[in-house]
Amino acid sequence: MGKEQKYRQTLRQLSRVVKQAVSQTDLDQFLTAALEEGMKMVGGFRAFVALVDEDAGELVIHSALGPGWDEEKRQRRLQVAQEEGKGITGYVAATQRPYCTGDVNHDPHYLRFFEDVVSEMAVPIVDAYGRTRGVINIEANQPNAYNEEDVEAVVLLADLCLTALNLHQSRLRQEALVQIGNELSTSEDLEDLMQTVLDVASKVLRFEDCSVFLVDEHRKRLTLAASSGTLREQVGKVSYPIGEGLTGWVAQHGEPLRTANPREDPRWRGIASEMPVEQIGAFLAVPVWGREHTVGVIRVVRRRSLASWFDNRFTDDEIEVLSAIGSQLGSAIESLNMRQRLIQTERMAAWGEMSARAAHMIGNRTFAIKGDLNEVEYLLQQPEINREELTELIGSIRRGVSRLEEILHEFRDFVMATHLSTGLDNVNNIITQTVAEIFPRRGPVALKLDLYPQLPDIRCDAVKLKRCFAEMIENSLSFQPEGGELRIRTELVDSRALPERFSVGRSRQFIHITFCDRGPGVPEDIKERIFQPFFSSRVKGMGLGLSIVKGIVEAHRGFVYEDGKPGEGACFHILLPVNGKSASENADNKERQ
Amino acid sequence: MYRILVIDDEEEVRHALQRRLQREGYQVDVAEGEADGIEKIRQASPAYDVVITDMAMENPDSGVRILEAALAHDLFSEVIVLTAYGNVANAVECMRRGAFDYVEKNIPGVDVYELLVLKIEQALERRRSAVNTLRRMEEITRRLTSSTRHGE
Repeated sequence: MGKEQKYRQTLRQLSRVVKQAVSQTDLDQFLTAALEEGMKMVGGFRAFVALVDEDAGELVIHSALGPGWDEEKRQRRLQVAQEEGKGITGYVAATQRPYCTGDVNHDPHYLRFFEDVVSEMAVPIVDAYGRTRGVINIEANQPNAYNEEDVEAVVLLADLCLTALNLHQSRLRQEALVQIGNELSTSEDLEDLMQTVLDVASKVLRFEDCSVFLVDEHRKRLTLAASSGTLREQVGKVSYPIGEGLTGWVAQHGEPLRTANPREDPRWRGIASEMPVEQIGAFLAVPVWGREHTVGVIRVVRRRSLASWFDNRFTDDEIEVLSAIGSQLGSAIESLNMRQRLIQTERMAAWGEMSARAAHMIGNRTFAIKGDLNEVEYLLQQPEINREELTELIGSIRRGVSRLEEILHEFRDFVMATHLSTGLDNVNNIITQTVAEIFPRRGPVALKLDLYPQLPDIRCDAVKLKRCFAEMIENSLSFQPEGGELRIRTELVDSRALPERFSVGRSRQFIHITFCDRGPGVPEDIKERIFQPFFSSRVKGMGLGLSIVKGIVEAHRGFVYEDGKPGEGACFHILLPVNGKSASENADNKERQ
Repeated sequence: MYRILVIDDEEEVRHALQRRLQREGYQVDVAEGEADGIEKIRQASPAYDVVITDMAMENPDSGVRILEAALAHDLFSEVIVLTAYGNVANAVECMRRGAFDYVEKNIPGVDVYELLVLKIEQALERRRSAVNTLRRMEEITRRLTSSTRHGE
């Protein structure tokens, strides 16, 4: 083959690799294709690509061609080292220069891997930051198989591999950032949000540990809100004054901060550290931006690498990636706050009217009680005391006082509906207990319980849910004074089972509780309004019952609605989200038992 | 016997008022809200002498509508409006439109029932004198009319 012809052929092969580099989304498949072309270009009977595992500081074989590869050989990790006798691949990774030998048997660096190798060529894949990303290795079973031009061709191949590696990485990051956008915007609470951030960050960035700090409402301190490692125990406990320490500095200045040695930075305070500070090899903190100011800081740390040759610092790309996560998180936190504020505002709006109504009702009842007391006094002044009348008056006073208490309770329940104190509990148990406590045994209404036995435990406030279920039961009883039926049912459903107006973005499980009766039902035109405060046709209390139910359910990030056919009975639905974490904890517990 | 109509949406309040006013010797009917009250006022013959109504029932200004119905039925019916916190503005509006007075249900240190009994007596007094004045006017008119006729 003439020189020019060979050159053209090499070019054709390289252009095929370029196409592959751009179109192949599976990295290992690309590497295999590139190796195949490489072997065609320079000849050889065996080849492999090893990539740097940055955490271990070792080379890991990703793609291997030719005879003799078995699982054990593929799994072998190659040490990165300049010393003789540690292997050519590791030597090339350490020196970052191509290496070629015509006879491995007389080569000082060669470490025997296969018996049949004679010539070997190794070319490093080095990125723009001067870091070794991997090594391409091609072997032949005849001596002096490779010349300088062959090495040059493989150097080109190595560059293409680097391009593919970068593309692959940015594709992963892009996907992760899109995913974080989606997940953050549908996160239901801060805890959820934090977990998502940690999960996504760990997919796109290499780090030992990641922590998120959030600025408090007075914008004085930064408090740890989540951490993927040892600091997890300290969530909610450790905090930085804004401006103090590296993390506090980032919050104050709204700029990223990167260092390889936090201890040597004059701003360093050592307030909270993911690991002993002398073990930290790289530190990066970026601000979490809200619309107007910094709302938090995300920081990641890497352990000091054991491989001294390996540069473990965070790169500009990595700052950009973490900053992108930071800004996504910032807007997610703000929209979450907004949602919560909206719920709060709705309830606050009810406050004014509630106070007026409470005053009116308390006033009325006090007035009635005073009237009764006057009558008692009058009776007592009579020469002959009418015991019957007196007993009746006292009964009336007692009823009056208990109605005052009802108002107070309702007031308290309404105010406290959204303040949860949660634990792991089973909705079926809560329903059974509530029924046992309040459902009249020999009443005119027949109770039918249909509880799904495999209901997972959820994180919830059992006392509040009891109040909520009690209200549903009492409500149903009060509308069926002549008798009827109440069917309480639980089941496990997917978010797809939700009515369209309650969209939850991504798929999650819900516990679906229904209370269906044979009372008069709820007319279509008031179905939406029955959950508003004071919208009640019941005499008892202040008419806050269903709005308390709504408050409690929404505080659990659930939904409540009524969709019974008017005239045939009411059918209330409560949907409580299954907290994924607690559900799996629960499954684990059951397995252990 | 004077007839009084008590209108309030709280059963305890109706009951307490009815009891006390009966003790004072009045004939007391009760109505449990705006609609019921207006209906009873329209049906009454002769008209109630005094109507005691809560200000806020189905509507915050239920008292005003009761007042209108009572005066439409008998111009000389006396209406006393009761308020329980925060309806004073509406009660004042009632006064402007011809209510006899308004009484707050809860005045610390005051026996409001006693006060109400007093107001009822005053209202009845005004009604009596108004009716008397009317009768005298009618008498004079009648006399004048007949003397004119005689003069023809």
